[in-house]
Amino acid sequence: MTREWNIVVCVKQVPDADDVSIDPETGTLNRSDAAAVLNRPDFNAIEAALELKEAVGGTITAVTMGPPFARAVLETAVGLGADDGALLTDRAFGGSDTWPTSLALARISEELDADVVICGEESTDSSTGQVPPGIAAHNGWSQLTYVEELEPDPDNDELIGVRDIEGGHEKVAAGLPVVVAIEFGANEPRVAGLHRKIFSETEFEPTEYTAADLGIEDQVGLANSPTSVGGMDTADPVERKKQVLDSIDELVEALQEEGVV
Amino acid sequence: MADVDPDDYEGVWVFIEQHDGEAAKVSWELLAEGRVLADKKDDRLIALVMGEDVSHIAEEAIERGADEVLVAEDPIFEPYLPEPYGEQFRHLVEARKPDIVLIGGSHTGRDFAGRVAVPTKAGLTADCTELDIEPDTGLLLAKRPTFGGDAMATIKCTTHRPQMATVRGGVFDAAEREPGREGEIQSVEVVVDESHVHSRVIERVVGEVTDITDADVVVAGGYGMDGDFGPVEDLADALDGEVAASREAVEEGWAEAARQVGQTGKTVRPTLYVAVGISGAIQHLEGMNDSEIVVAINSDENAPIFENADYGIVGDLFEVCPALADAIRAAKGEEVTQ
Repeated sequence: MTREWNIVVCVKQVPDADDVSIDPETGTLNRSDAAAVLNRPDFNAIEAALELKEAVGGTITAVTMGPPFARAVLETAVGLGADDGALLTDRAFGGSDTWPTSLALARISEELDADVVICGEESTDSSTGQVPPGIAAHNGWSQLTYVEELEPDPDNDELIGVRDIEGGHEKVAAGLPVVVAIEFGANEPRVAGLHRKIFSETEFEPTEYTAADLGIEDQVGLANSPTSVGGMDTADPVERKKQVLDSIDELVEALQEEGVV
Repeated sequence: MADVDPDDYEGVWVFIEQHDGEAAKVSWELLAEGRVLADKKDDRLIALVMGEDVSHIAEEAIERGADEVLVAEDPIFEPYLPEPYGEQFRHLVEARKPDIVLIGGSHTGRDFAGRVAVPTKAGLTADCTELDIEPDTGLLLAKRPTFGGDAMATIKCTTHRPQMATVRGGVFDAAEREPGREGEIQSVEVVVDESHVHSRVIERVVGEVTDITDADVVVAGGYGMDGDFGPVEDLADALDGEVAASREAVEEGWAEAARQVGQTGKTVRPTLYVAVGISGAIQHLEGMNDSEIVVAINSDENAPIFENADYGIVGDLFEVCPALADAIRAAKGEEVTQ
């Protein structure tokens, strides 16, 4: 049966790489003092969601979990063409690792009756790539990771993805609902239209959800995260000669003495 | 889900990724590291093999250091799909309670690890560059570089089991096969059927997998290449080496992902590593630190790469690389073509 799809796109606000500090007590990233931006791979996720909507019809809801000011990334998504936004914000979420984070995103995806959940490949701040398969696992849904191309098959309630694998690619048909992780750089993200951008910054209000709204107040946060940071060290530098040479001849000579040329 | 009693969990498991009856090299590398960890905590090393007709892989796992191999053999496990693999793994973890599980950081391994960590409520750490056992507690210490800094974070999982980690190719050395080595191969009950599978592989096209981890000479280009890898390719040719790239260069689409060096790419250990137009972030250094001799070519004299190189040339890489390639060809007595 052909019908329109509910598309959820998960986005994340990340600190700008050049502007981040680490909390010396907890060893976790101090996100509050860094300039916050939309995770770059998520632009590819938003673009994939927009293309999917153009192909099959439906609605796109952008979802993020974070502090109240993380609504900025929902505004970005709505400016680019998402229809609505949901902000999961609650002190209870603080310190969540990928297990509770993917639980929260799984619950909101259920709440929104998602057919397709689209994520970026990974976040630039923690770069685990574990959240998309985590969402799928929490809900028992199918998953397509490292996706280069998407091809919807609404007649069969399937989404076909071309996945990048070591040494090649594979084409996988996944039954709905499905969680997709789009490979970074898989498409050319569009630029926001002016009217939509103004709407997102002036009129758009995200729907807010607390952990209790999602029924997971006892399953999230630092206390419910299996992993924790057990310490920080400076990396052991490898002893190197650190000789800056003036000419290529000197370099070739040095490499000959080392026996590598 | 209630916390588990860590004392109930034992054994170091390594997931042996295989496609078409061929094991992924990274799995053998992790089996060697798993041997080290198991010996440190006086525990057993157990390889997990899933697929159809995989008994030769199980035998190889014994020869490469496993005490025991668990084999889940069924056509439903060919080719890899996350749902049947995940369901079978969940069952095995619940029934056998492994303490540690190591998984290769390939796309398949990361797809699998992210899927299985949830139902088992495992603590999963991605892209570790060092693993160790904490002496007093026996806990797995999973180390990875931190974001935006030059520090290493140690990730622990104290109250949940199993402790899981993914590791990219080349971080560890695979162990040699030891023919005649003895171990136990155990066939396990397959608990998965078609009702667990909601996706299907329509087509699978795999060519030769580029492998830079064994190269004796590696010439890597970074963001400074500005879209033109020609100078790096030419220099690699002069040195009979492999071309590699930084993460930035791969993300820009200038080089294929299989050639990426660093925490989220491959770790290489060549005799000679030449870093061209690479600034030298810790995530990159983690992938090249095992190189014997490091040469850096960069226009920025303050780039951190010079602190991590044996020899450096400050200059325009588009001039330095061709000149160096010519000088090397001349030194080797080859005809200089340009």
